[in-house]
Amino acid sequence: MISLLGIYRPRRTLMHRAPVWFKMLLLVGMSITCVVVSDPVTSIGITAACLLLLASTLPPLKATLKGMGAIVVIAILTTLFQLWRGDWVRALDLAGDIVAIAALALAVSSSTSMGAMLDFVTALARPLRWLLPPETIGVMVSLTLRAIPEAAQILTESRVAARARGLERDPRAILIPTASRTVGFALDLGQALHARGIAEHGRAPRGGSAPASEARDDAPGRVLAEPPVREVPAPVEPAPSRRARRR
Amino acid sequence: MIEFKDAAVVAPDSGVPILEPTTLTLTEDRISIIGANGSGKSTLARLINGLVLPVTGSVEVDGLDTQRHGAQVRRKVGYLFTDASAQLIMPTAIEDVALSLRRLIKNRAERDEAAMSALREIGLAAKADVSVNALSGGQRQLLALAGVLACTPSIVVADEPTTLLDLRWRAHVGALLRSLPLQVIEVTHDLDSAARAERTLVVDLGRVVFDGDPKEAVGIYRDLMFGRASQGATA
Repeated sequence: MISLLGIYRPRRTLMHRAPVWFKMLLLVGMSITCVVVSDPVTSIGITAACLLLLASTLPPLKATLKGMGAIVVIAILTTLFQLWRGDWVRALDLAGDIVAIAALALAVSSSTSMGAMLDFVTALARPLRWLLPPETIGVMVSLTLRAIPEAAQILTESRVAARARGLERDPRAILIPTASRTVGFALDLGQALHARGIAEHGRAPRGGSAPASEARDDAPGRVLAEPPVREVPAPVEPAPSRRARRR
Repeated sequence: MIEFKDAAVVAPDSGVPILEPTTLTLTEDRISIIGANGSGKSTLARLINGLVLPVTGSVEVDGLDTQRHGAQVRRKVGYLFTDASAQLIMPTAIEDVALSLRRLIKNRAERDEAAMSALREIGLAAKADVSVNALSGGQRQLLALAGVLACTPSIVVADEPTTLLDLRWRAHVGALLRSLPLQVIEVTHDLDSAARAERTLVVDLGRVVFDGDPKEAVGIYRDLMFGRASQGATA
């Protein structure tokens, strides 16, 4: 599903040229229709229309098939469950709804640039400007989408690192580095936003944004004449698992 | 012109000094900062665009105090990080540069055109619609630089911009930084690159211990590092 976050490709299709508000309205309207209407024939019709609409945006094939594959598996499982309950009408309706909404969402994603989406969210958030500047809300949405693949990558790397150390069965060996690195990534991203002057409304804390490598407790005190070179502290290792301790 | 007036930084929690009171006037177009890991050189660089604020003293860029006019200072001072990945926010190259331009250009079409122009200038036009995750480390660093340059800063501070790059990209990004018609302040571990500057600062244990000729600075830095290494070996 993560590959779908970069599914947008600039094209000249009808969906690409349609305004963002129209596409979002279509998505919301169609989703409501799918939920309200429980007729299998209508559901199959809507599904076919949504799949055609998705195809019309000429999305990247591999990422689309991968993303839709996962959705189709969920739809099949749901259908099987409903068939097992003996409700074939509901089975067809539900499967159609799931595939239709997913296909339409993909059609919107593949035909809308993040910049256009950011403009839309910013415009939508304008009534909330007493709470937060609209630009900030728009950037928050972009950052959320940006953080998903990064967090997934950090998790994968932590899992590989844990496996390399023979700690793949210890969840702490995966979760602790994942959590600390994700926080580190968030801090770096915050610094980068600040440096680029994006959605800037506040002030940096006094001395509070020093790079992590230079804001350490192991730094020497006030006497700075000729002390030894500061050493990088050893990374905190997760505690050994019970099984490892027994060994 | 960048002016440090007794600017000092301490760690917020422990109160440990990260940068001792420092007074400097930086006017040269090419300045390099060298020093050991954790010596305070990145803090010195971050003080320039207000990413770090001094606890005592002040830092001024063209007469603008980084504490009182942080946003204005950041419009003048572009900042390039070591790891460009953290600096890239949007999914594609052109969208990321366009994000930098949002506050300068309101019209989306004009903004995209300006972003494309920035990518073209840096040689990344062919990658405009490519996902930032699909770019190589060198291309990401170039993209980060395009995002910085698109906002037409008068100063670029680059914090070890070539540390994570291979030799080919290191040479390319280094040459690009040197060719910029702006004041460039580069924090670096690449001593060859440091020696090409007009002026070099050596930072050690939170203090600027040398400020002057780059070749002399590199020599002092080597002595400092290898002297400690041999002290450590005999201890």
